[in-house]
Amino acid sequence: MNAAKLNLPKTVGVWTRPDSIRLINSKNIFEYMNGAGELYLGYRFHHLEVFDYASDSQDSILVELYFMETTGDAFGLLSLDWGGEPVSLDGSSASTSNKLFTSPTRALYGGGLLRLWSDHVYARVMAERETPASKEAVLALGRAIAAGAKNPPEPQLIKILPLKIGSAWNMRIDRLSFFRSHLVLNSIYYLSHENILDLDLSAEAVIAPYEHISNAGDPKRSQFLLVQYENLDRARKALNHFHDAYLPEYKKNITADSAAKSSSLFKLEDGWLAYKLLGKYIFIVFECPDQESAGAIIQKNESNLLKKEGNHER
Amino acid sequence: MKDKKRVITRRDFMRGTIGVTLGASILGVKWPTGEAKAAVSSLVTIVRDKNAMDSSKNVNSTILEKMLEQTLIKVTGRKNPKDAWLSLVKPNEVIGLVPTNHLNPTHDEVVDVVKRSLMDAGIPKDKIGLAQGGPSNPKKCDSLIALPALKAHWLTGIGTVLKNYIMYSGSPSSYHQSNSAKLGEIWNLSFVRGKTKLVLVDSLFPLCDKGPQADPRYQWPYHGLIAGTDPVAVETVCLNIINEKRNAIRGEPWPLSPPPICVEAADKVYGLGTSRMENIKIEHDGWEHELLL
Repeated sequence: MNAAKLNLPKTVGVWTRPDSIRLINSKNIFEYMNGAGELYLGYRFHHLEVFDYASDSQDSILVELYFMETTGDAFGLLSLDWGGEPVSLDGSSASTSNKLFTSPTRALYGGGLLRLWSDHVYARVMAERETPASKEAVLALGRAIAAGAKNPPEPQLIKILPLKIGSAWNMRIDRLSFFRSHLVLNSIYYLSHENILDLDLSAEAVIAPYEHISNAGDPKRSQFLLVQYENLDRARKALNHFHDAYLPEYKKNITADSAAKSSSLFKLEDGWLAYKLLGKYIFIVFECPDQESAGAIIQKNESNLLKKEGNHER
Repeated sequence: MKDKKRVITRRDFMRGTIGVTLGASILGVKWPTGEAKAAVSSLVTIVRDKNAMDSSKNVNSTILEKMLEQTLIKVTGRKNPKDAWLSLVKPNEVIGLVPTNHLNPTHDEVVDVVKRSLMDAGIPKDKIGLAQGGPSNPKKCDSLIALPALKAHWLTGIGTVLKNYIMYSGSPSSYHQSNSAKLGEIWNLSFVRGKTKLVLVDSLFPLCDKGPQADPRYQWPYHGLIAGTDPVAVETVCLNIINEKRNAIRGEPWPLSPPPICVEAADKVYGLGTSRMENIKIEHDGWEHELLL
């Protein structure tokens, strides 16, 4: 897929783009964004196409089209920040909140910047200076990028996470992120500067906080992490690595039949941590107020996974 | 377990053992503990003007010039900008201005007013140049004026003062991730050490989230210049402002992630200045709105 297929207009409002495309690949992405290419290379990045829409009377509009190897990777880039105003690019009503993924938010606008997920493409369309005219042009470019594109569903992995656990725990879906790289994980929830979960492009991971709304004061928040590896062996090694680095003073008991056992639980400085290995999946929950909550969050996610895996097999 | 390399984790921050782990793993030095070092008091100035930029983000250079004058007088305690500059640099020195050129770059107007102010103080035009880039740039200079812009960074937490010299290392990617703790060592390279006479942070329109590309939702009009001669103290104040803004945006704690481990290391390991807010004297002048301190 390339921009020609996306049919970006030559002119939008008072802005016009050149005929030539700036093409960025994994070799020169660091030159393009000064060392920050790790974010995009942390996903399955194919290439980037850049267009500058210029105008004699207005500041320019920059269009960046990140072509990703999978639609999940394009979704992942959008999922790093659900803030902004949800906008509809296909005429359907835009989700006004990110309560449910059944009506997915695919485009978010704020301060002159439109970020959108369209099939294999993650796009950033940014007006250097936000004006009513530039907003109109930015949204028009967004519609052109999304026009005719398929709207595939979000990665299956995120659908494993229940929105509620019991009556007390609600997922903060506006903080749910999909990723593959420990650098990206650290930018969401810092675990370690080292890659202690052996994350790489063959893995898929989702993180989201669960909030416990109590009668007294601030909500308690626990972070739930689910990682899918290529196979059981890689998952087991990763969990061993995690345990050695994160819980060095605790004895570990990670075996191939962990699926049959309850979660491993640890009382740490910021609350209870629980983890579980289930086939090629690792479940970890951090910062739980008690071991019952930690166990319940793992257990509910585990049963959801088993249900979905079962459905899939059938 | 004894033979295994210690890894910095979230738990080190919760236990307050980050320094010990850093020392044992990345830095390869013993982290000073307790009050071994004498407390140092450093001055950081913040000068703000509501009209430094207009609603279209155009910088008012006349106002900026006055803000710089106030800054120079406050930082040095001298009576006027000329005396202030001449207490920091010598007229025959080659002076390098070191702005940031990516991710919320330093405004050209800031670089221009500094250059003009130096010339007004009697520094010849041909002795003042831009010195951002590889190691050859600081090598040519007798004095450096660091001119970073206030911003967070997605790989190092904060990307303002200490990170401003990353290109001087000749190997910038070596200072990402856990190695960002070592950013302070660049300031101690033989051709950098002692040359920085002023750190002046362009805080006109900061960026409080980490990029890697600027998102305008996380930029805001602070309309300030933050300055001092202690780079760590200036960075510490900048960090405070970024954290306060992030918490205000979300209405709940929103810590920088990954945590900016370079700041404390610059103090305790590299001896570049103080990272303790209690040892920093902040003098503020001008616009009071959302000072964030």
